[in-house]
Amino acid sequence: MSSDSLLALRMRHRVGALLVDVDLRLTAPWTVLFGPSGSGKTTLLRAIAGFVRPEVGRIAYRETVLVDAAAGIFVPAHARPVRSAAQSARLFPHMTVQANVLYGGGWGLQREQEREVAEQVMAVFRVQGLAKRMPRDLSGGERQRVAAARAVLAASTAGPLGSTLLLLDEPFAGLDTGLRDTILPELWSWVTERGIQVVSVTHDVAEAFQLLPDVVKIADGRVVAQGPVEVVLAEERERLLGRLGR
Amino acid sequence: MDFEALGLTLRLALSTTAILLLVALPLAWWIASGRGWARALVQAAVAMPLVLPPTVIGFYLLVAMGPLTGPGRFLIRVLGHPLAFSFTGLLVGSVIYSLPFAVQPLVAGFSGVEREYVEAAAGLGAKPGRVFWSVVLPMTRASLLTSAVLAFTHTVGEFGVVLMLGGNIPGATRTLSISLYDLVQDGNYAAANRTALVLVGFAMVALMVIYLVPGSRVQDGGQADVVR
Repeated sequence: MSSDSLLALRMRHRVGALLVDVDLRLTAPWTVLFGPSGSGKTTLLRAIAGFVRPEVGRIAYRETVLVDAAAGIFVPAHARPVRSAAQSARLFPHMTVQANVLYGGGWGLQREQEREVAEQVMAVFRVQGLAKRMPRDLSGGERQRVAAARAVLAASTAGPLGSTLLLLDEPFAGLDTGLRDTILPELWSWVTERGIQVVSVTHDVAEAFQLLPDVVKIADGRVVAQGPVEVVLAEERERLLGRLGR
Repeated sequence: MDFEALGLTLRLALSTTAILLLVALPLAWWIASGRGWARALVQAAVAMPLVLPPTVIGFYLLVAMGPLTGPGRFLIRVLGHPLAFSFTGLLVGSVIYSLPFAVQPLVAGFSGVEREYVEAAAGLGAKPGRVFWSVVLPMTRASLLTSAVLAFTHTVGEFGVVLMLGGNIPGATRTLSISLYDLVQDGNYAAANRTALVLVGFAMVALMVIYLVPGSRVQDGGQADVVR
């Protein structure tokens, strides 16, 4: 992967009792933010997406400055080369699954091309049979996968190859692991083929190890460690294996 | 039964509703999308007709549209006649008088759309205008209907403002509620009753529409919301 895929993030921001204070450079095609709940992972993701305005800091993706608090720069979410899916699915209740998945389609694709891409993305997330259904008729897990598919389609059609950042906040939380293990490798090849850089959030060690990404370990709003998953999460892995009775 | 007054009332109510929706949609969206004293001030101003006697509104509009004020003199110069005692003047009065009835259901509806839906759309690259038309508005259809129906019926039932501002000119400013008042003054109770029944019918049908149409704000989980 090209090493110029680069997200530079420096910010200080208070959310309730938590002070998020980080200085990060993400170069890997896929980075996992790992840490316990309430550690500030989601706040970081929301700051990159444009839903949190850091009190102090600077966020830049490639050559584009997204936030520079000192200079008063704040690019609104929709204008960023960033597509995101939040932790809760938030499918638009008045649209079919297909319309939801197509909502973020862009970059002048023909309607038919978009439909084709939508079908492929839905197949990756194993929701291709649900195209005509309404969100209220889906199970929680199905909704979550449709929401992830929607963000992936948006990122896949947002701009020229390799120009878009995709943010996924716990995309597989609560999903049965068998399904997750089938989807993840396909999603991995989907995004790497298209040069989409991904930052995802998880607190699941197994999920982190399946992707072999770079990991940023976060606790109490600070970066504890950053590097390859085998190094950063070695301790967690041992603990998990120990619990499995190895 | 004064059919001219009926026609005029309908024309006034329809025009008022159309203008109010154009005004109320952006206004309600702005009010609902934040906090602060500026919004509180605007919201209070919008709600004024709810608590003020309609004659107060009518009085100030009459003065404002007349030759006693700068804007009034300007209007007279531009139009060639005072705005008061004309259909247009009545329309201006009705829009102000019914404004809270159009704005408040929409504010309630927009506030009920969880912030996360707006963020989900923005996170997919949708510009604010598109988010409003394709996500927020379809999710608040019931509020939009309530807003339109209330603006319409409230205008049909308007009396004080019309009396102060419009006088009683057949075909121009004489609405059904004024006609009813005249009929009672003349002791023509049979005709007054027919006119009153028409007004009752309007109100009843409109309220039925609001309560019959299911809350179309269907949430993620599938439960429908009540009309507010």
